[in-house]
Amino acid sequence: MFKNYINIAFRNLLKHKGYSAINIFGLALGMAVTLMIGLWVADEVNFNSYFENKPRLAQVYQSQTFNGKTQTGPAIPRPLEFALRENFESKFKYLSMASWSKSRNFNYKETAISLDGYSVQPEFTQMINLKIIQGDAAALKSSNAIMLSQTAAKTMFGAGNAMGKIIKVNDVDHMIVSAIYEDIPEGNDFKDMEYLMPWSLYAKKDWIESSIDQWGNNSFQLFVELADGVDLASASAAITSVKKESDAEVAPFNPQLFLFPMREWHLHSNFEDGVQTGGRIENVWLFGIIGAFVLLLACINFMNLATARSEKRVIEVGIRKTIGSTKNQLIKQFLTESFLVVIMACILALAITLVFLKPFNTLADKAITFPWSNLVFWVVILLFIAFTALVSGSYPALYLSSFRPIKVLKGTFKVGKLATLPRKILVVTQFSVSAALIIGTLIVMSQIDFSKNRPTGYTTENLIQIPVMSNQFLGKHDMMRNQFKKSGAVLEMATSSSPTTEVWSNQSGYGWEGKPEGFQEDLAYTQISYEYVETLKIKMAAGRGFSREFPTDSTAVILNESAVAYMGLQDPVGKYLTQGSNEGGMRKLQIIGVMKDMVVQSPYEPVKQAIYMFDGFNNASYWNLRLNPENSMRENLATVEKVFKEHFPNALFHYDFIDQEYAKKFAEEDRIASLAKVFTALAIVISCLGLFGLASFVAEQRTKEIGVRKVLGASVANLWMLLSKDFLVLVFIALLIAAPVSYYLMHNWVQKFTYHTEISIWIFIAAGAGALGITLFTVSFQALKAAFANPVKSLRTQ
Amino acid sequence: MIKITDLEKYYATEEVRTIALNKLSFQVQEGEFVAVMGPSGCGKSTLLNILGLLDDPDGGSFIFNGIEVAGFNERKRADLRKHNIGFVFQSFNLIDELTVFENVELPLIYTGVKPAERKKRVDEVLEKMQIMHRRKHFPQQLSGGQQQRVAVARAVVNNPKLILADEPTGNLDSSNGNEVMDLLTELNEAGTTIIMVTHSEHDAKYSHRIIRMLDGQKVTENILSEYKSKTLEV
Repeated sequence: MFKNYINIAFRNLLKHKGYSAINIFGLALGMAVTLMIGLWVADEVNFNSYFENKPRLAQVYQSQTFNGKTQTGPAIPRPLEFALRENFESKFKYLSMASWSKSRNFNYKETAISLDGYSVQPEFTQMINLKIIQGDAAALKSSNAIMLSQTAAKTMFGAGNAMGKIIKVNDVDHMIVSAIYEDIPEGNDFKDMEYLMPWSLYAKKDWIESSIDQWGNNSFQLFVELADGVDLASASAAITSVKKESDAEVAPFNPQLFLFPMREWHLHSNFEDGVQTGGRIENVWLFGIIGAFVLLLACINFMNLATARSEKRVIEVGIRKTIGSTKNQLIKQFLTESFLVVIMACILALAITLVFLKPFNTLADKAITFPWSNLVFWVVILLFIAFTALVSGSYPALYLSSFRPIKVLKGTFKVGKLATLPRKILVVTQFSVSAALIIGTLIVMSQIDFSKNRPTGYTTENLIQIPVMSNQFLGKHDMMRNQFKKSGAVLEMATSSSPTTEVWSNQSGYGWEGKPEGFQEDLAYTQISYEYVETLKIKMAAGRGFSREFPTDSTAVILNESAVAYMGLQDPVGKYLTQGSNEGGMRKLQIIGVMKDMVVQSPYEPVKQAIYMFDGFNNASYWNLRLNPENSMRENLATVEKVFKEHFPNALFHYDFIDQEYAKKFAEEDRIASLAKVFTALAIVISCLGLFGLASFVAEQRTKEIGVRKVLGASVANLWMLLSKDFLVLVFIALLIAAPVSYYLMHNWVQKFTYHTEISIWIFIAAGAGALGITLFTVSFQALKAAFANPVKSLRTQ
Repeated sequence: MIKITDLEKYYATEEVRTIALNKLSFQVQEGEFVAVMGPSGCGKSTLLNILGLLDDPDGGSFIFNGIEVAGFNERKRADLRKHNIGFVFQSFNLIDELTVFENVELPLIYTGVKPAERKKRVDEVLEKMQIMHRRKHFPQQLSGGQQQRVAVARAVVNNPKLILADEPTGNLDSSNGNEVMDLLTELNEAGTTIIMVTHSEHDAKYSHRIIRMLDGQKVTENILSEYKSKTLEV
């Protein structure tokens, strides 16, 4: 019996090749999209699975409240380490302090490279199960040992042995390569960890040594591994008040500590006002839903084409029933056919996925590999086939098997209005989803455009930054400024303690006239040199930038407009801020200028209140260079490098373009938009494939009618309209459904961004016109073909 | 074998109710060959559908092999049908996607016959119908007469007690038509009961008894001499 089913299914597929091709290809496309999204979702959900201890690893986070606004982050003070080691020994198996990821200059003989990595305590390597290829896992116990990743070692030493070699770091420290570890693969945190240095060495820096009892200095990270048998919630609850109870000065900010588990780092990292509010998990849901919808579209194609063809199969159903087939047997037969089609589509989908996995990875910034050897994957594929076949095959099977044999065999069977209604509903569903995707994508794109076009407040073009990675740069700023300017490649140069596109430090503790009682300010804090305003071409709202002509500028400050509003200052230029207390020595800081707001952090959020102080202590982290626009970029860079190398022959010449750094702020949204564009395009293609197939069946069904109308004098245009109208009406209804739904969803989405676009009516008009245009185009081919056909021939076919 | 009493069937649209069978009663004995004749719309086909358990009467009684089957649900009807009744249609109604062999094999599949037994029985019946050489062909590759022979083969492969034929020669020329009628006669002589709806007086003469219908009722019944003599012999 089964063989019989398979036989007839195959012969049916071969007999109607065009139909089969549309059906299998459409389904394969939908399945491929779902498969790729599935792989992407799996990759996201399995993030950090390289770390065997993942369920027991966590990072210490803290929430602090400033003026009723709670901020949550991983930065913690140094004394916390000692408090946890001393009082909570039983809760943790391991603890490790860590620096932030830092780029450092490495020199070995002639080779100079820049690598990213961390300074950590020796336990760290055990916590993350670092796979040691050579050397000692506990190497970081020695304060002059360095561990390198396999790739970093290869880059520095080529094929030669790296172990035991002495390398110079930032021109200061001489470190012995004591271990080589396997690179941490993509899809994991710490994947860019190219080196590990001992915390003990890092902690010898003056500012870190002095931070040993500073509970208010949140400049470090702390990772923990839970002790066996200790659950995360109880350990987290136990440490909540440690900081608050340890230091009266920080207590007013109500610091709440908690353990943020590794399993949530990647997808649930957003906190709003102290409450965890999701994160990338939203994208996972978004694409998961898109994947499900695209699959649904493909399934609808299958259902529509199968039921549209029903008139061709009614005879078969009638005969089978007459001969003795039960309804169940027929359902089984039609489901077998669905399975066959879905299996073929799935094979094609796997092939499509294989071919397009690489471009997809590029688009999604992933390194997903095809999981050939993963048994779970193949089980999921089987379930996927079964699910798709059941979803797409059930309705046609029930529909076809319910035909009454006598009507069929006597030729009185007619597909009535009721029979086409579900098909119409399916087409409307399909186009509602497609139109909603079009509208959603257009809104995402317009939001990104809107933010990209936001005035930055300074000029990003022709601006580069050179990171100050080595101590040998310190104090050379003025000299290098003169040299660079003399070369003609650079118009101006200034230093800053944070990069132009980030804020690395925040401060409080200022006083000013009219400051409300108990106001806990929180200001973005950057130290800058003379000519910073000129170099970045920042517009001033009032006053001026730091100037060499005013020696008192070393105790002056500049605010941005947001800070003036935040602090409630009137005509601030010339007025004073205070810092410190009467007992500890009060510093008076004159406000010499107010900058117009410049976008430094998120381009989607309001500019944060910021204070700029003169850098009198060589705290520069970056040299900012305004290049001469009269020369080509290549000439400028070559000149700058030449001048740089003349003075620092051993140092690595590394620079970033500020406009590119700024553009990175849109990377995540750009990626979502690109993926959404591709998926929307595919959804449209799939829907159109179905529409094309459906239109051809309708044209075929109405061949006689068209012939008669033509004989009676209908023009090609009349017939074209006649055949297209029905579909246009359906798509129009779909638009009426899609518009309010997508407006509602996208309106909520843009609200996420404080700085957001207004959803324009034109987006809906454009999407509507597009959907109707595509429909007309798809349907017209079949409609015109039927309309142009010779009526004599079409009448004879009946 | 068949006893129908006061059988009724209506077809209703929104405005009109058409009576297709109006208190029709008759009996058919096992081994009989009955022809049902009448003008178009007189209810012949409705009768055949009810007799074939493809349709349900709206009133009256239908006893098949001593069992009241009026009111059976579709599943029970399908079960009774596949074991007892074979159909021959005017338009052959072969499945285009199946070969001759597979078309004939189908009823055996639905009654759960094992593959080896199926092959044996299909081969036997194809041999008997003289279309063995065409067993691997598809229906559209055969002539009308050959297609109807396949349809007859399919109708008898399960050894049904009853064959219902709906204008079996309607789409055939006279020589092919005669061949099919000879085939049916042979089957009848071998013991199968046959009820045939036809417009053709020529074909009707192959039967033992002709029931003539008009407006859903039986008007006359002619018992042909051959059958009378045959029953007398018995």
